[in-house]
Amino acid sequence: MNQTRASSGHTLSSSKQLASSILRFGALPIVLIVCVVVFQLGNDRFLSSMNVMNMTTQSMFLLLIALGQMIVLISGGFDLSVGAVVALTSIITGKVMVAVAAMYPESVGIAITLGFMAAIGVGLVCGLINGIGVAILKVNPFIVTLATASIFQGITLVVSKGVQVSGLPRYFVIEIGSGRIGNVPVIAILALPVCFCVYLIIHHMRIGRYLYAIGSNLKSAVVSGIRVDRHLIFAYVSCSVLTAFAGWLLTARVSSGEPLLGGEFPLASIAAAIIGGCSLRGGEGTVVGVIMGVAFITILGNGMDLMRIGSNYQMIVLGIVLIAAVVVDRYRASLGVR
Amino acid sequence: MIAERHNRESEAFASLSRASKFYGEFAALKDVSIDLVPGEVHMLLGENGAGKSTLVSLLTGVNALDEGERRIRGKSTPVLTPTESRKAGINAVLQDFSLSPALTVEENFVLAREPRKGIFLDRAEARRLTQGALDQIGLTVSPKQRVSTLGRAEQQMLEIARALGGEPGLIILDEPTSSLSHEETERLFSVLRGLRDAGWALLYISHRMDEIRRLGDVVTILRDGLRTGHYRIADVTNEQMVADMVGRDIGSFYPEIPHHPDALVLETDSLSSDGKFSDVSIELKRGEIVGIGGLVGCGKGDLARALFGLLPIDDGSFVLDGEPVADLTPVDMLDRGLVYLPQDRGGEALALNRSISDNIVLEILDNQESKWLGFIRQQHLNHIVDSLLQRLNVQPPLPKKIVGELSGGNQQKVVLGRALSKARKVIVCDEPTSGIDVGARAEFYRQLAHVCEEGAAVLLVTSDLQELINVSHRIYVMSEGRVVAHLARDEITEEKVVAYAFGEEVQKETD
Repeated sequence: MNQTRASSGHTLSSSKQLASSILRFGALPIVLIVCVVVFQLGNDRFLSSMNVMNMTTQSMFLLLIALGQMIVLISGGFDLSVGAVVALTSIITGKVMVAVAAMYPESVGIAITLGFMAAIGVGLVCGLINGIGVAILKVNPFIVTLATASIFQGITLVVSKGVQVSGLPRYFVIEIGSGRIGNVPVIAILALPVCFCVYLIIHHMRIGRYLYAIGSNLKSAVVSGIRVDRHLIFAYVSCSVLTAFAGWLLTARVSSGEPLLGGEFPLASIAAAIIGGCSLRGGEGTVVGVIMGVAFITILGNGMDLMRIGSNYQMIVLGIVLIAAVVVDRYRASLGVR
Repeated sequence: MIAERHNRESEAFASLSRASKFYGEFAALKDVSIDLVPGEVHMLLGENGAGKSTLVSLLTGVNALDEGERRIRGKSTPVLTPTESRKAGINAVLQDFSLSPALTVEENFVLAREPRKGIFLDRAEARRLTQGALDQIGLTVSPKQRVSTLGRAEQQMLEIARALGGEPGLIILDEPTSSLSHEETERLFSVLRGLRDAGWALLYISHRMDEIRRLGDVVTILRDGLRTGHYRIADVTNEQMVADMVGRDIGSFYPEIPHHPDALVLETDSLSSDGKFSDVSIELKRGEIVGIGGLVGCGKGDLARALFGLLPIDDGSFVLDGEPVADLTPVDMLDRGLVYLPQDRGGEALALNRSISDNIVLEILDNQESKWLGFIRQQHLNHIVDSLLQRLNVQPPLPKKIVGELSGGNQQKVVLGRALSKARKVIVCDEPTSGIDVGARAEFYRQLAHVCEEGAAVLLVTSDLQELINVSHRIYVMSEGRVVAHLARDEITEEKVVAYAFGEEVQKETD
C-alpha cells in the first residue's frame, strides 16, 4: 500500500513539476517563436541581419535594467526609480564628459573614463538612498522608490534646467553609441559581460542565495543569521548601478544628455522581469528567464514598429502583457507552493 | 470496529459513504465512510497526509466527491458549495483562522450576515447578537475590540461563537488546542461538551491521545487515505489507535536519553526583558535536555527569543560558554554556537518556495570548504545535504524538492537539518513538535537524544506537558514571566508542573 502511494505521489509531483516548468520557461520560448514567426510573416525585414543587430542593441539597455530589477525583486522589493536614475545619469555623465573634454581636448579617453565613473557614482548614490530607505528606515519599497524617482527626476531637471546636454565627445557617440567590432555592436560587447557577472553573483555566489532567502521569507533569513540589511542595500545598489550603466550607454546611443530619458523603464523592466519568471512576492527569478523576458518585450516592440503599429498602441499592449504576466505568475504560485 | 453502521447512518447529521477523492492517480481519500451523529464528539486521527483535511474538505464543500455518497440531514447531496454547506449548518474552525484582524469582534461576528434597518446597519442588534453568543460561550472580550488584539485562544473561541446560533449542526475543529494553554483548553472542552449535549455533532481532529480519551465518544483513524480504524473510544487502547495510525511499530515513543551533564554552557542571572519576563536565572550543561514549561503567555517563548537575540535583554547577565553576552543579534549568537528553532516553521524558519537544499545550507555557505574563490561549491554542499536527509529520514529525500510541498513533520526535519549542518553548543527549540504527526515526533525526539549524546545542550521550550516531562532531564516552570520552579528528573510529575504553571496560590492549595 505504501509502495503504490509513494509511486503515484511521485508521478503526481513530477507532472506538477512539468506543468510549473512549462509555465516558468517552457511557455515563454514558445511565445517568443510564435512572435518571431508572426512578425516575419508580417514584414520580411524582421529577421534581416540589420534588424536583428538593431534589436540586440536596443535590448541591451532594458536587459541591464531588468537584471537589476530582478535582483531587487528576488530580495522581495521592487525599484520604481530606474527611469529617473537613467535620466539623472544621462545629464550628470553628459555634463562631466563635456566639461572634461573641454579641459583635455586631446585625450578623449579621460572624458569617457570619467563619464563612466560618474555613471557608477550616480548609481552607487541612488542605490544607497533606496537601500537605506528600505533596509534601515524600513519604509515600503513602493513608497521609497516612488519618492526617490521624484527626487532624482527633480534633481535632473534642476541640474539640466530642462535642456539637453549636447556636444558630447564624438568618439563616445560614434564608437560606443553606434560602433561595431566585427558585426557586433560595441554596446552589446560592453553590456553582456556585466550580465554574465550578474549571473555568477545570483546563481553561484553566497550573496545570491541570501537574496533568495530574504525574498522568500524575511523572518527565516533573520533566524538563519543572514545580515539582512546589508544584503538588501546590496540589491538596491546593484540595481541602480546596472541602471546607471545602461543610462550611460543609452546616452551614447542618443548622442546627448537627455533630462527626460528612460521614462519607460520602470514599467518595462518590471514587466520583463515578471514575464521572465520573477515574482512580486520575492524569492523567485533567474537570469536566463529575465533574458527571455527582455527578448520578448524587445521583439514585441520592434515587431509592432515594423508593422507600423504606433507607439501609443504599443503602450496599451505592454500594459496588457504585464497584467497577463502577473496572472500567470499567480497561477504559477498556486501550482508551486501550495 | 462498530457494527451497527445502518443505525448510525440514519441518525447522522452528516455522513460520507465509501467516499473517494483523487488527485490525478493519487487517492487522497479512498472508500472512507464516516457518520457524524448529533450529540457525539467524533475524533479524527491520522498522520499528516493521511487524508484528514481532504475528508473535511468534502464535508465543507471545498472539494467535490469523486466517488461515494455524501448525506446531510439524511438527504443525498452530490453537489455542495462552501456557502451551501455553511447554510446547512456545517461550520469548520480550521487552523488558519478566517477572521479579519482589522475588524472588531462584533464586525467579525456578523460579517456577511449583518442585521440591517432598511439600508443601514443595525449596530444595536449586532451588538446584542454578539454579546449573546459571547456570553453563551463564556468569552469575556469586548465586542468593540479589534480582533488583532485578541490572543489565539480568544480568536478560536470567537470562531466557534460565530458558528453558534440557529439549529444545532456540525462543528469541525482542526487541532484547536495546539496553541492553547491548559486553562484555555479546559474552557474550550467545557464549551464543546456543552455543544455536544445541546445536540451538535462534533468532528475533532487531534494528535493528542489524552484529548482523544477525555473528549471523544468515537474515533475514526485514517492512514494513506484509507480508514484503518473505527472504534468507540471506551473500547480501544491507545496502542491500538497509534498502530492503526502509523501502520508500524514506532518503538518507544519517548526515547530513553542518558543524562550525563558536562560543563556549564549557558547561564543566565536575573535576566529580564521589559514586559515579557523578569528575573530569569537558569543554567544549562552540555549533554542535557532542559525543558521550560508553563502556560501560553508565561514568557517562555519570549525567553527563547531573547536568548537568540530576537528580543532585547534589559537587565541581568547572560553567559554563553564562559563569555558574557550583551546586545547580540542572531548573527552573533549563531557565531557563538547557539541556534534557535522557531515555533512558526512556515512563517519564521523556512523559505517555503525554495528547495530543501537551499534551506538547509543557508548557514554553511560561509564555511571555508563551501566556497572556492567566492563561488559556491555545490557538490560539497550536496554531500552535506544528502547525509543530513538520510540521517533525519526526510521524506521524500529529494534535495531539490520545494519545502512548501512537504508535510509539517518533514518541514520540521528540514529546520532541524539546518540546525545540525554545523557544530552547535546550544540548540533552543520553541514548540518544536506543534502540528506534526506522531511518527515525525518520535523521530524528532530521537534526534534530540542524539545531539545531546554528542555533547550539545538542548533547551526545550514546550506547552506539550507529556513532551516536557518525558523528554527533559530537568525542568524550569515559568509563570507570568518568572521562573517559579526548578525540578530535577526524579522530582518531575505532571501534577507538580501543572500546579507550578498555574502559580503559587494553586500550589499552596495542592500542598
